[in-house]
Amino acid sequence: MFRDYEKVFMRISILFSFVALALGGLFGFIQLVSRTPGFPRLVDASGYYTALTGHGVLMAIIWTAFFIMGIAVFVMVSELRVNFRKTLLGLTLVLTLGGTVTAAIPILAGRASVLYTFYPPLIGHPLFYIGLAVVIVGTWVFSAAVIDVFLRWRRANRGVGIPVGAFGVITTIIIWLEATPGLSIEVLMDLIPASLFGKPVDVLLDRTLFWYFGHPLVYFWLIPAIVAFYAIMPKLLGVELYSVKAAKLAYILFILASTPVGLHHQFVDSGLSFEAKLLHTALTYSVALGSFVTAFNVLATLERAGRARGGGVFSWVLKLPWRNPVFAGLALAFILFGFGGIGGIVNASLTMNYVVHNTLWVVGHFHLTVGSIVTLVFMSITYLIFPVVFDRNIFSGSLAKIQPYLWFVGMFIFALAYHIAGIYGAPRRVDDSSYMGLSPEIWSPLLQIGAVGGLIFWLSGVIFILNVFASLKFGAPATVNGASLSEGSGGEQGDEPTIFDRLSIWIIVALILIVIGYTVPMMEIFSRGLSPVEIVYIGG
Amino acid sequence: MDRWEALWIVIVAATLGIFIGTLVAIAGVGYIPPSEVEAEYRPTDAVEEFKPGIRSLGDGVYEVNILAYRFSFQPNKIVLENPKEVRFRIYSSDVLHGFSIIGTNVNIMVIPGYISEIVWRPPPDFEGSYLVICNEYCGIGHSGMFAELVIKR
Repeated sequence: MFRDYEKVFMRISILFSFVALALGGLFGFIQLVSRTPGFPRLVDASGYYTALTGHGVLMAIIWTAFFIMGIAVFVMVSELRVNFRKTLLGLTLVLTLGGTVTAAIPILAGRASVLYTFYPPLIGHPLFYIGLAVVIVGTWVFSAAVIDVFLRWRRANRGVGIPVGAFGVITTIIIWLEATPGLSIEVLMDLIPASLFGKPVDVLLDRTLFWYFGHPLVYFWLIPAIVAFYAIMPKLLGVELYSVKAAKLAYILFILASTPVGLHHQFVDSGLSFEAKLLHTALTYSVALGSFVTAFNVLATLERAGRARGGGVFSWVLKLPWRNPVFAGLALAFILFGFGGIGGIVNASLTMNYVVHNTLWVVGHFHLTVGSIVTLVFMSITYLIFPVVFDRNIFSGSLAKIQPYLWFVGMFIFALAYHIAGIYGAPRRVDDSSYMGLSPEIWSPLLQIGAVGGLIFWLSGVIFILNVFASLKFGAPATVNGASLSEGSGGEQGDEPTIFDRLSIWIIVALILIVIGYTVPMMEIFSRGLSPVEIVYIGG
Repeated sequence: MDRWEALWIVIVAATLGIFIGTLVAIAGVGYIPPSEVEAEYRPTDAVEEFKPGIRSLGDGVYEVNILAYRFSFQPNKIVLENPKEVRFRIYSSDVLHGFSIIGTNVNIMVIPGYISEIVWRPPPDFEGSYLVICNEYCGIGHSGMFAELVIKR
């Protein structure tokens, strides 16, 4: 089913994502220990912000993007039985790997400690921005490769519904293509010229462009995880997904409203009107609807599987295969996703946002989302697809069984403590929050409890990384083949296409919503005239 | 989609509708985030033109102009006597900063080129000091950027 070059592509991108995860995890460990009162300070302030930038870029962009590319090839080929074009995959790897290495050099040298959100007028070394721009171009090439596969499948399968996994991959790509223009304009028009020639920049405009990209980025991470729930989990449990149509509805809601919501990261910015902020709040809630629809669908599927195993009204929960690391990881991540989603509603509410903006609440929130529903799900998928992609079994099955639980427990403690500390105002992104002893006394114990949780899930990450790298060398020859995994995966193939399968209509609606959502703030920014300010070089 | 699922979607959509309605309603009574305030001068001229300092407008009403810069606030000790309503106006002369009074809802971004304005009604019974911090990364000395707000009765 997989061509050799597709296997090579999956191996390289997935292995590289593990390297990013390992290095990003090391930075996370350094941060966690250094910023917690009573823990040894491993680095000075400069080292802290280097680690913070590295952790953000590696985890938010490199780990997710490379793993997603690998899994996207896996899902597209196994569901649609159409192969990728070799040149496009090759070019993708050259650009994304080259760009990542280019950007990594100034980060590691401490010359780009501007954090992954950039936030000019702080400006780092040009190679940081140029490297990331090349990565983005690489992802566009990959997007073209996926669309090419999809269109060839569609031409040969007129009048057939899109299988639910491939639908998710296409959704991911559409969201990525909606989002990246914002980042590209910021990097090309402002950040690279600022970094090379000292061009003054308008900070509000750049923030707005960044968050135009920054929020859909969240859905770019999330959709592949949701693909696992819709396309992989039912197969794992031997049942059908509760509702294919609702799954597609959720995807469409994500396509429609993931982008014109970026202002919810800017609720306390001056220079943007209340009306624009309210509009983005309302649109954010409609994306939340997609998550709620997903929650129902997944829980109903789980219940169906539990009842098929003889469970009753409540006991179906216990009948599920909790000893299977793939299932356990998915299910535990799903529980954390529930908490992350409810916290997200708070973040998106423009008046409650005052209380939590830029506090540790936010850190707790995105460790439940990108750190759990995404990362823990990707780890679980790894246990499933590793034998197919790398032709070897996972080295230690018992470590794999413990690992998701360790992550769950650690993350739960970490996120709970950080959410509470955030309500008490403890700030994020700071190397030391003692403020000469003026900080509230409650911060220290909460940070310390958070650090204990952080160390527990960090340990889980170490176990995962050691286990997968050991599997490459010592794993037994694979006993699972690709065909058995994807059998029946096209269960929806042959189904009647729904209204949601008419992607071009939804893409047009999405573009209209983006235009509406961003015309208002952009008119406000440009109509009063830009006010560019001098840039401030960092670490140079 | 069956009827349970449709019902679920209706319930969730209605709940989210109520949330939005609540936000609009409380905005009507004045809980609105800082918006649409622009500065008429360049950050480099701020010290002369912006005039950091405390101005009492009588009857417990204050206007406090604060200049934020790497890595301090000016003034960095703000003393207010029996304040009822305080209008903070914060301006950055260099990079992005934050302005957060810990233990209150005052928490806004300070964007160079724009004045951030927020009105605060202090709790009537509070006496003592608040910690004010910059909560947006602004460079290597970020953790040393804080001020003290003292309320006297």
